[in-house]
Amino acid sequence: MSVTPIEQGAPLADEESENAATGTNIALPLLSAIIGLGIWEGAVRFFEMPTYLLPAPSLVATILVQRWAILLEQFGYTAMASVVGLAIGLALGIGTGTAISASKIAERMLYPWLVITHAVPKVVVAPLLLVWIGFGVKAEIIFVIIFTFFPILVSTVTGLKSADPELLQLVRSMGGRKGQTLLKIRIPGALPSIFAGIKISATLAPVGAVVGEFVASNKGLGHLLVVAVGNFDVPIAFAAVTVISVFGIAIWYLAELLERLAIPWHASQRTTIAGT
Amino acid sequence: MSPPVVFDSVEKIYASSKGRIHALGPVSLTFEPMATTAIVGPSGCGKSTLLRLMAGLERSSRGTILVGEKRVTDPLTDVGIVFQRDLLLDWRTVLDNTLLPAELKQLPRKEMVLRAQSLLNELGVGDFADRRPWELSGGMRQRVAIARALLCHPSLLLLDEPFSALDALTRDQMGVILQRAQGAERVTTLLITHSIQEAVLLSDRVLVMSGRPGRVLDDIAIPFPRPRPLSLRESPEFGAIAGRIRTLFEQTGVLAA
Repeated sequence: MSVTPIEQGAPLADEESENAATGTNIALPLLSAIIGLGIWEGAVRFFEMPTYLLPAPSLVATILVQRWAILLEQFGYTAMASVVGLAIGLALGIGTGTAISASKIAERMLYPWLVITHAVPKVVVAPLLLVWIGFGVKAEIIFVIIFTFFPILVSTVTGLKSADPELLQLVRSMGGRKGQTLLKIRIPGALPSIFAGIKISATLAPVGAVVGEFVASNKGLGHLLVVAVGNFDVPIAFAAVTVISVFGIAIWYLAELLERLAIPWHASQRTTIAGT
Repeated sequence: MSPPVVFDSVEKIYASSKGRIHALGPVSLTFEPMATTAIVGPSGCGKSTLLRLMAGLERSSRGTILVGEKRVTDPLTDVGIVFQRDLLLDWRTVLDNTLLPAELKQLPRKEMVLRAQSLLNELGVGDFADRRPWELSGGMRQRVAIARALLCHPSLLLLDEPFSALDALTRDQMGVILQRAQGAERVTTLLITHSIQEAVLLSDRVLVMSGRPGRVLDDIAIPFPRPRPLSLRESPEFGAIAGRIRTLFEQTGVLAA
């Protein structure tokens, strides 16, 4: 017995228009950035602004080249604290989120504490951490964990709890046990939500590291920033901010790349439309 | 061979903060092995509840349900269910979606892949085994859902309005495909539908349900030999049975006369 298929999914657009769209996606933001920097450069020169107030982008670029060694060294500390803290934050967030969604007891016991912890302003905790942990990279990493833990936790719980009840009933009728349902249904189905949380946490990781360096470290770009502003060396402060920003953008795109590789099947990643 | 299914004075009452809803019954029925029984009735008459009770996905408030000698108290694991939505997993290929029940039951993959591919071929979607569900049309997706339901040779095939989201032409096509699959698989089937024509065309017996709480208004044996062509719907005998069901709905106020 054989039946002719009714329809088949069709490509969304031809290759030519897809390439044109990619070109536009790159060209437009680039053009926007060039225009923005041009306005900034022009304004600084036209109003003859002192460098301790607002350095021109050309000066910031010069500082980036001239003092790359010190910026790179400090960036190494910030990047290390961000990456290690993010990894621990993600592991804790995904683990705790899975436990909360799998067990009502865990949910009732942990959730109030998590909400209270999240409600406390993170910057207020900074001096306390300095007292408890002292100066150094450990405090920085803990800051990154504090910043990154909650977004990934919430997105994990939301994702795992969003499984279709009818699908779960179907899986039960297939003999699926709780562990199998978690591995084969709930976790894959939660991945889009988990990746949304990973992207938010990834951009918060450098923020956490820099805040940690403001108060609890004598190394890293955050510390360099505080010292530079204290000395009215605003160009290097801008250079440090530029490096932190580029790092934040890079970590965001890395998370996006991982998402694309992990969930190519999700609607947000598809290049073809569904069959009708 | 599929066992008979017996409903003895089964009732279902849902309790909520707004009060109790008497959804079904009492109903007493016997579903014969290998036969296809269609249940047709108005929305909210408890058709889907009856299917869920049979699958053990819900517990009856009163009465007993027996599958063979076994009383249904927990979800049955040797049933195949197809819901209105196909519930395919986007992260799996068509073949892997079909293999899901075998994976959950930890059956040998090699053997089950052959069975899955054969079912997909039989249902006309064999060439799409390595595609993702979102690359298929609604009718094709529902055929994959039927293949998944039949994979582990279930003792019962439960179809809960499986074609109601499809267009008229695809529904007709699915009716033909389902008949062929039933002929090949010979499994006791319960078909829940809103369509009188679909019920008469595809089943050996039609149970006509009243409005809530759902009770059986009529139990009609369908005498036509199989396979049944779509043109059967134009015969006077088919029209007479469909008319009998329609009249019942008119008399009970489900359809305006």
